[in-house]
Amino acid sequence: MANVLVIEDDDGTAEEIVTALDNRGYALDRAADGIEGLERARAGGWDVLVVDRMLPGLDGLTVVETLRHEGIRTPVLVLSALNAVNDRVRGLRAGGDDYLAKPFALSELAARLEALLRRPADPRETVLHVGPLELDLLARAAHRGRRVLDLLPREFLLLEYMMRREGQVLTRAMLLENVWNYRFVPQTNLVDVHIGRLRRKVDGPDEPPMILSVRGAGFMLRAPG
Amino acid sequence: MRLADVFYSTTVRWALAVAGAFGVCTVLLFGFVYWQTAMYITGNVDTIVRANSHFDANLPRTQALHFVATHLADDPRRVKLAELFAPDGAPIAGNVASLPPGLPLDESPRAVEVVRVDTRGREAQAARVVARRLASGDILLVGHDTGDLRQVAPLVARALMMGLLPAVCLALITGAWLTRRAQRRIDAMNRQVQRVMAGALNERLPVRLYDDPLNRLAKIVNAMLDQIERLVTELASVGDDIAHDLRTPLTRVRALLERGRDSARTLPELSAATERAIAGLDQSLSIITALLRIAEIDHGRRIAGMATVRLAEVLQAVHELYQPIAEDKGVSLLLDVHDAQSVAGDHDLLLEAVANLVDNAVKFTPASGSVSLRLLQRPAGPAVRVEDTGPGITDTEREAVFTRFYRSDKSRHAVGVGLGLSLVAAIVKLHGFSLTILDGPGCRIEIGCHAA
Repeated sequence: MANVLVIEDDDGTAEEIVTALDNRGYALDRAADGIEGLERARAGGWDVLVVDRMLPGLDGLTVVETLRHEGIRTPVLVLSALNAVNDRVRGLRAGGDDYLAKPFALSELAARLEALLRRPADPRETVLHVGPLELDLLARAAHRGRRVLDLLPREFLLLEYMMRREGQVLTRAMLLENVWNYRFVPQTNLVDVHIGRLRRKVDGPDEPPMILSVRGAGFMLRAPG
Repeated sequence: MRLADVFYSTTVRWALAVAGAFGVCTVLLFGFVYWQTAMYITGNVDTIVRANSHFDANLPRTQALHFVATHLADDPRRVKLAELFAPDGAPIAGNVASLPPGLPLDESPRAVEVVRVDTRGREAQAARVVARRLASGDILLVGHDTGDLRQVAPLVARALMMGLLPAVCLALITGAWLTRRAQRRIDAMNRQVQRVMAGALNERLPVRLYDDPLNRLAKIVNAMLDQIERLVTELASVGDDIAHDLRTPLTRVRALLERGRDSARTLPELSAATERAIAGLDQSLSIITALLRIAEIDHGRRIAGMATVRLAEVLQAVHELYQPIAEDKGVSLLLDVHDAQSVAGDHDLLLEAVANLVDNAVKFTPASGSVSLRLLQRPAGPAVRVEDTGPGITDTEREAVFTRFYRSDKSRHAVGVGLGLSLVAAIVKLHGFSLTILDGPGCRIEIGCHAA
């Protein structure tokens, strides 16, 4: 069970986060201000920290900076009501590993925490395997069993990203940010369309599906069976 | 009003300053007149003295005595001076009591104070004199009174007093009148501005026909008020639009939840209703997000990300992103890119702008239509053009489409929050580029950039 420390001053938000994560099987603790949060984070034993950007006592970014300065490498997800793009950059520069703007869907928060907890498989691997799926990064070749998958460059990147995070829920925003490097929210469901195309190539008509839609959250790649 | 207040009031201070300056000028002028007069009188006296001192230096004492006697013979105004001094300085004959100490013995007239001694007694006189040593060793002094000069000084001073006082008074009055007038205008402006501040945004400062600095200021303030009024009105209408566009999905959410609560019999039914309610809330939130982003870009807070951007890459990325969407809709998305110049800009924002244009184009183009994305080379720099075979934008709609929340009636049914083009306009404005809607069948929009 992963230990999560939520440093959030707003009681309502904190309660929602705690309840939602509790249901998903995390062990949660909450600090209501920056100073308390910093002390408890220092004490160690956490798998991931959720830090609100604006906190009484000590600003959230300062908390993260201090921790990083002291050599504490616990993954941090920064929450902020500020939506500005520069703000995101500042949050990541301070040492945050991911940044989530309020208001957010709880499923988005859970997916991102999951991603932080399960760092992707060894990035030096050049051939990825998930069930019958094989992706050769050097040869730029993809197979499902014996079937060759004819993928466009972006589809290849998308599949690589998903295969490295097998079994994890990946939200649309995560895919857009990490596969396309886009920071804006498009008006159309772009990601769905792209995933749909990839799915048609990966999951043949009489094959068990590997790319799954997770209701109200996003998508997931999983070995069949 | 206390005395100090009176003194410090602008009117009084200005009046005093004007009067003071005027007084100083008058005194300087009279000083100049006096100086010039003195120069003139001195010059005249010096001429006389020089003429009288043209005697031979070899004059023996007897002839020198004779010269003195002749010189003083006819002097009814008692202005001539002459004296022969012994080599030790003792007076011998003439009408000057003693040799002025330190007087150089040469041919230049000098100003000295002497004591005149004649039949009518002793009298101190200011004079211009020349004293020369004769061959015999005696000193012969010849001079002329400059009493006229002394009379000029009080004369000028009296004239000054007679002139200065009324002049200063006049200046005080004029100054007071002028500043009072200016003060009244400033007071009027002040009152007007107070009214504007109190909320009467349509009030304007009084403007006169002739142009002076105060008038120019009033015009500038009026122009500023026009701008503010326009912005406030715009803001108010945006507020109405926001209220409307937020109220619509929120009302739907409310209805959904209410219906879910009252009529859902099973858990799946309830969660379906919840799902739709969440989608509605997400739409409301995305409106707020989009508005904040437009505000952020409008205020130029993202200018930090400026770099050299290769437009061809931006267009290719957008094409790749939207190709599947267009294809699903049965619309062909064409890309026509030549290797055009780079531009200075924010890559992410330019991508967002082009993506929004293509998003709109794909959205409004019916099946079997086409959308083309072109990079053109214009004299001023590269330009991005998005063309579609959709319904297009009518002339009357052109201005309106860039304002926030505008959606033409025919697009009311389409998905989207109606902020796309406002966002594009804000991004283009931030870069100093131009955004043009061109004539033609379908919609043609062009972003004109400057080369980097």
